Amino acid sequence: MAAPNLARLIYRNVRVNTDPASLVILLGLPAMYLVFFGFGFQSLASAGGGGSYLAFLAPGIMAFQAVMAGTVGGSMLWADRRWGMLAQLLVGPFTRTEYLFGIMLTSLLFGLGGAAVMLVLAVALLGTATVGVAGGLAIFGVIALGSIFFGSLMLFISALVKSNNAYNSIQILLLFFVNFASTVFYPFSSRLPYALQVLFSVNPLTYIADTARNGYQGHLTATNGYEMIVLAAETIVFLFLATQAYLRSDVSME
Amino acid sequence: MKGQGGLETGDPVIVAEQVRHSYDGRRFALDGVSFTVARGEVFGLLGRNGAGKSTLIKAMTTLIQPTSGRLRVLGHDPRHDGRKIRERIGVVQQGESFEFTTVEGNLDLYGFLWKVPRAERRRRAELLIERFGLGEFRRRRSFDISGGQKRRVQVAREFMHDMDILFLDEPTIGLDVLMRRVLLDSIRAEVRRGLTVVFTTHNLEEADYLCDRVAVIDEGRLLAMDTVANLKRLYSGKKTVDLSVGAADAPRFFAALQGALGPAATITVSGSESVLLVDDPKEALSVIVQLAQRLGVQIEWLTVRQNTLEDVFLRSIDPGRESRGGA
Repeated sequence: MAAPNLARLIYRNVRVNTDPASLVILLGLPAMYLVFFGFGFQSLASAGGGGSYLAFLAPGIMAFQAVMAGTVGGSMLWADRRWGMLAQLLVGPFTRTEYLFGIMLTSLLFGLGGAAVMLVLAVALLGTATVGVAGGLAIFGVIALGSIFFGSLMLFISALVKSNNAYNSIQILLLFFVNFASTVFYPFSSRLPYALQVLFSVNPLTYIADTARNGYQGHLTATNGYEMIVLAAETIVFLFLATQAYLRSDVSME
Repeated sequence: MKGQGGLETGDPVIVAEQVRHSYDGRRFALDGVSFTVARGEVFGLLGRNGAGKSTLIKAMTTLIQPTSGRLRVLGHDPRHDGRKIRERIGVVQQGESFEFTTVEGNLDLYGFLWKVPRAERRRRAELLIERFGLGEFRRRRSFDISGGQKRRVQVAREFMHDMDILFLDEPTIGLDVLMRRVLLDSIRAEVRRGLTVVFTTHNLEEADYLCDRVAVIDEGRLLAMDTVANLKRLYSGKKTVDLSVGAADAPRFFAALQGALGPAATITVSGSESVLLVDDPKEALSVIVQLAQRLGVQIEWLTVRQNTLEDVFLRSIDPGRESRGGA
């Protein structure tokens, strides 16, 4: 029996996006952050009397996988438009909605898979695992939500943008702000400039990193629950916006 | 012969009635297009760049919805039953499209997307690799091969799955002469098995070689539509005479020739060469030779030929062309 349309699209997305070069970016880059930053900044954390920076960073890098998954989703739509496969698939036995959900679910798969690899790497580097069942569910739940949020955001952008340069510039700039104005690499501090504090507070990656970190350390709080509710609401809004932008977009770059 | 949809050869598979489409609400890319295509037919769309050929293909393949008019493909309305249509058609688009994987990976993945079982995918891929000469670069990634090779993969890929109608939007762009012939012959072989083909091209020789009927489209309107042979006859019971004389004598000779042949003949002059359309080529040859002797003009060449599809095409999109003779 042939697989349903959505499953075939997901298989296709995974197959064309798991070449060695893509995997280096998807898994190698976060792994290098974890190793180099984790050990490199350990001395600073020790000098400040703090605990293990690697233990602090590991859940942040897991959260970072949601952003990486989102960029994969946006890039898939962008590449399919740029290289003609979007139009080709849409004159095939697929609907636009199936294509959209194919990309979103592939992003989700990449986000969860990447987070799992980072978790294994973190446990190997730290030599200990502190994650319980509730913590694990929280980590993977928030990363799943985050993958869909960032997938929607990047889809929204790639549906609107017409040039390769513009798409790449927006992606790089956005990734910089999202990653470094969040609690992925360092904790939130009231001593930060006010503008940065606001950026930290409205950045969904902060919610994802906080929840993943508390889940990893077994200290989940009610705040994490609120953060997930806000993130879910933001995800619904951006999913709607992305869907609208995508359905109205040209299928090709002609 | 019955196809997958239970259609008989000759049954209409595409019916368009007064189809209009506008991208911007002001100018119509399709402006009242009506035609039918029968099962097992090769239907050609001829036209200049921007004439509306690709827009018509997009409408028939459900990528865009007509602004008005009635369109039925395989008995379905593209507005409401797009998927039912798309499940039974194949499309080679004008622009390139390929997956970021190897050539054989492209074929296999495309077959997978079309629910072709694995063993059948392998069999078809080998057949197409052989037929389209993809063997020497079958393991190379698609972005590592030339434009012509990509086009071959793109065309070959479409034969990975079964279909009732194949839409080809200028499929031979970038193909060398040999591959062009391979493609056209492959299409002919599929047509013998009952496939219907809608084919757009700039290349009139291809249309002449392949098409049962052609439609000439310009500015979104169908200007002419018939079998290739009928169109040639319709546009001219006349014959074409190509004539060249010495450059110095050309102006006075062609002016005198127009007078001698009378208004029924048309002469299009370009420098020392001219193309004449005449009812009776024997009589015209006699007049030309006698006039040349009388005026002491040297004829450099003189040939009589059948009208080509190119003549038909040019006269369809520019009917004023004949009356501008003797320029």
